[in-house]
Amino acid sequence: MSNKWDKLSKQEAQKESIRPSLTYWQDAWRRLKKNVLSMLGLGAIFLLILFAAFGNIFTDWAYSDQDLDMSNLPPKLEVFDVGDGITLYVHKEYTLYRVEDGGKIIEKMELPQANRDLMKKQNHYEIDGKAITVDYSFAAKAKKSNDPNAIKFQLLVDDQVYTVPTDKISNGVYKFGTDGLGRDLFARLVYGARISLLIAFIATMVQFFIGVLYGGISGYIGGKADNVMMRIVDVVSTVPLLLYVIMLMVVIGPGLKTICIALGSVYWVRMARIVRGQVLSIKEQEFVLAARTIGASTWRIMIRHLIPNALGPIIVSLAMMIPNAIFTEAFLSFIGLGVNAPMASWGTLANDAVPGLRSYAYQLLYPSAFISLTVLAFNFLGDGLRDALDPRLRK
Amino acid sequence: MGKYVVRRLISMVITLWFVITITFFLMHSIPGGPFSREKALPEKVLEALNEKYHLNDPLWKQYVDYLQGVVVLDFGPSFSRPGIFVWDKIQEGFPISAKVGGIASLLVILFGVPAGIISALYQNKAPDYLVTILATLGVAVPSFVVATLYIYVFAEKLGWAPAYGLEEIKSYVGPCLALAGFSLSFVARLSRSSLLEVMQQDYIRTARAKGLSEFRVIFKHALKNSLIPVITYMGPTIASILTGSFVIEKIFAIPGMGKLFVESVGNRDYTMIMGTTIFYAAFAIFMIFIVDIAYGIIDPRIKLGD
Repeated sequence: MSNKWDKLSKQEAQKESIRPSLTYWQDAWRRLKKNVLSMLGLGAIFLLILFAAFGNIFTDWAYSDQDLDMSNLPPKLEVFDVGDGITLYVHKEYTLYRVEDGGKIIEKMELPQANRDLMKKQNHYEIDGKAITVDYSFAAKAKKSNDPNAIKFQLLVDDQVYTVPTDKISNGVYKFGTDGLGRDLFARLVYGARISLLIAFIATMVQFFIGVLYGGISGYIGGKADNVMMRIVDVVSTVPLLLYVIMLMVVIGPGLKTICIALGSVYWVRMARIVRGQVLSIKEQEFVLAARTIGASTWRIMIRHLIPNALGPIIVSLAMMIPNAIFTEAFLSFIGLGVNAPMASWGTLANDAVPGLRSYAYQLLYPSAFISLTVLAFNFLGDGLRDALDPRLRK
Repeated sequence: MGKYVVRRLISMVITLWFVITITFFLMHSIPGGPFSREKALPEKVLEALNEKYHLNDPLWKQYVDYLQGVVVLDFGPSFSRPGIFVWDKIQEGFPISAKVGGIASLLVILFGVPAGIISALYQNKAPDYLVTILATLGVAVPSFVVATLYIYVFAEKLGWAPAYGLEEIKSYVGPCLALAGFSLSFVARLSRSSLLEVMQQDYIRTARAKGLSEFRVIFKHALKNSLIPVITYMGPTIASILTGSFVIEKIFAIPGMGKLFVESVGNRDYTMIMGTTIFYAAFAIFMIFIVDIAYGIIDPRIKLGD
């Protein structure tokens, strides 16, 4: 390159060429990819959706299959190996289960009425010629002593006494255990994931449509109409929104559809404010004027010009609203306004687990872990999206 | 200032009227009357009940009567429990909720704001990471999970605190923690990001340039301005904490406003739902009013009355 005025060779020309310009979305994606936490969140959401869609492959049970004999079985069984290849599990209700093949077969032992000794607090069984007794006369004392480690029962096999479980094996029949009606918790969690995510997405979509239209119209028309519409939004948003949701649920009755309607028809006010703010600044730009001069209708300007340009902040607030919807749905389920049985959401699963919390804590643990994880994932993604899509908000 | 307060008071009344109207007509749009049960009542009993509660009056008359009642704090009798009046139940429940909620609000302010400040001052160092992680978790875990886990660990396994009621001082710990958890985390995050933003402002550079000590820069100049978004958030939050969380009060069996509301939802006790909703709304509107007044005191840039 001695002479700057010479024509460049083809190779060198390519080397000098500027890199292809990125569109707004490519640029946002590039920024989002750099954010480790958001990518983790995105991955977790992807996995959750997979879990909801295909999770039931891993279980033989349907969400509504119930077997009262198998109620409240934990995911980890503390078993007693009493010799002769007999492994026994004593339920928290002092009934006996035979566990075979490393937890793959669980069978409830027959207990005829005559073998229940309610006075001595003993249950008598006979398995393969062995006389087995579950003696739970200590239970009352253990409860009084307030010591959580106190022995509640002992297992008498012929003359031997077992008080401490000999082994801990995982439940091969019900991976996550069962609930109070003997339903497979894993299957119910998968089903709950579907319902919870479905409610979250639909409710968010409803508030998206209402909010974008309301805010868009208010911002674009402006003037008196804008003033009146925004005063209404002010009034609606002064009151705790959960109250409206609960009232709507009382009026239209609990259920899947009504939750979506109630959530969607109340939480749109925030979206309306955001969209209005965006539209107010975008509508002053030249391309809107250009569209108007060639005779585009108001509707067309709104749908084709204003809203697509406001999409960044809209998507950010959508990502933030999904965890909000999941939270609210769980709260509603928790006060008895959730989806109807036998349907399940994570909220109803958690609510169902509360009465038995003392003995069956695992039933609460799984749904609440899923709720927390989902909310966490969406929060991370939302933070990243805000940084990527809305550079003005970057800190 | 005075003019502004008057204008705000008028808009508060209008908002409240709006809320009462929505609540009233929503509750009256429920198909079937408040006395339609699965087992139908005899015609004559139903007639007598409707007569007693003025349900045979035209809707506008019921509405006007209700509005007149609300003005003098008469929210009518409970529909599902005869002889009990809504306002009496609210007066019973609110002090209990307010006591628990007051402690929780104090927790939010006394721990949330300092945590955020520490986090911002030690940005990208160990204390910052600790606060950020805890706050992120605190925002993601629902309050009923915190409450039930607390009961499971401290009441059932360790036997340290009672699981229900409010008889001892110890029994306040669980409800207050569960009630404060989310807001505390949120306030910590909010005050962190807000302080970080304020620290980049020009007037902070000016303060540093004229040789003020770092302590004075932060506590005299930065902090006050960084608290504005926190106060905006705290207004409605204190209102909702003081009036009791539906879920927490149900779990800990606290006989406060939240439990009252949840119970009335469960019983379909319409007058009780209406009364508690209006009370909640009025309290929230009042707190937002307080916040707006507080702005003017904290930040002279915000001109009231514009």
